[in-house]
Amino acid sequence: MSEHLTFTQDKFTFQVARDRHYNTAGVWAKAEGERVLVGVSDFFQQSKGDVAFAEVSEVGTAVAAGEVFANIETIKLDIDLPSPLNGKIVAVNEALELEAELINHDPYGAGWLAEFASSDWPAVRDKLMTPQQYFEHMKNEARAQGDQ
Amino acid sequence: MNDTDKVIIIPCSGIGKTYGTVSREAAYEVIEELRPLNTQLVPLSKLVLGDEAARTAVTGKQVITIDGCSLSCATKMVEESDGRVNCQFAVLDAYRRHRQMKPRGISELNEGGLQLAHALAVEVAAAIDELQEEENA
Repeated sequence: MSEHLTFTQDKFTFQVARDRHYNTAGVWAKAEGERVLVGVSDFFQQSKGDVAFAEVSEVGTAVAAGEVFANIETIKLDIDLPSPLNGKIVAVNEALELEAELINHDPYGAGWLAEFASSDWPAVRDKLMTPQQYFEHMKNEARAQGDQ
Repeated sequence: MNDTDKVIIIPCSGIGKTYGTVSREAAYEVIEELRPLNTQLVPLSKLVLGDEAARTAVTGKQVITIDGCSLSCATKMVEESDGRVNCQFAVLDAYRRHRQMKPRGISELNEGGLQLAHALAVEVAAAIDELQEEENA
């Protein structure tokens, strides 16, 4: 089975990684041991444009699901990102300070934003979208944007 | 200066894009004010359309592109037109170097956009000087 679900519209191909969960803003969360890694989806980075700067809240910041934990400035927009989970930020991707474009080049890998410690991840995960659910959500958004 | 010795400047053609406008404003400042005697602007749209004069202009001459975004259309079109890019600039990279100059607006740039276009134009002018020094060495 492929690692990604793939949707092509016009000249754009969007991928959804199968190994993580998503909120409606296109922020993904993936458990790695006791920590949860967080970043943005391929659809998010392609539709929002080249990232100029990414700022994540400081290590030690406690964030509730839905609260803003990061801001991304692209050539089109300034976007506040809502956290997909409750937890404390235990690491931020420092590489983004010099290479914010990693978010565009590798949104599911080197372009990760933050790492969280979360005590209720399994319960919160069940409130997020599965890859298949996000795939359908993304397709609807892509089509809506295409109609504009 | 003979036309054949002029450095060719090709900015982004993105209409309705802030960074495209910054790219063009920078190119205009270089060509009209900073280095009017030793530069020539070639519109990217002419290269896209396969205009023969535009293709001839980028072939065998020193070329500087000013791309608006990572699609790098200006650079790619020069290469597809059998030209060689001597120096490539990108508005996004310039903004990362000058974060206080946040560009906004499209047909009319805000103050940050105008400042960024100027900063970029100065960098392009310096690159032109370097290219011509190398050529004359």
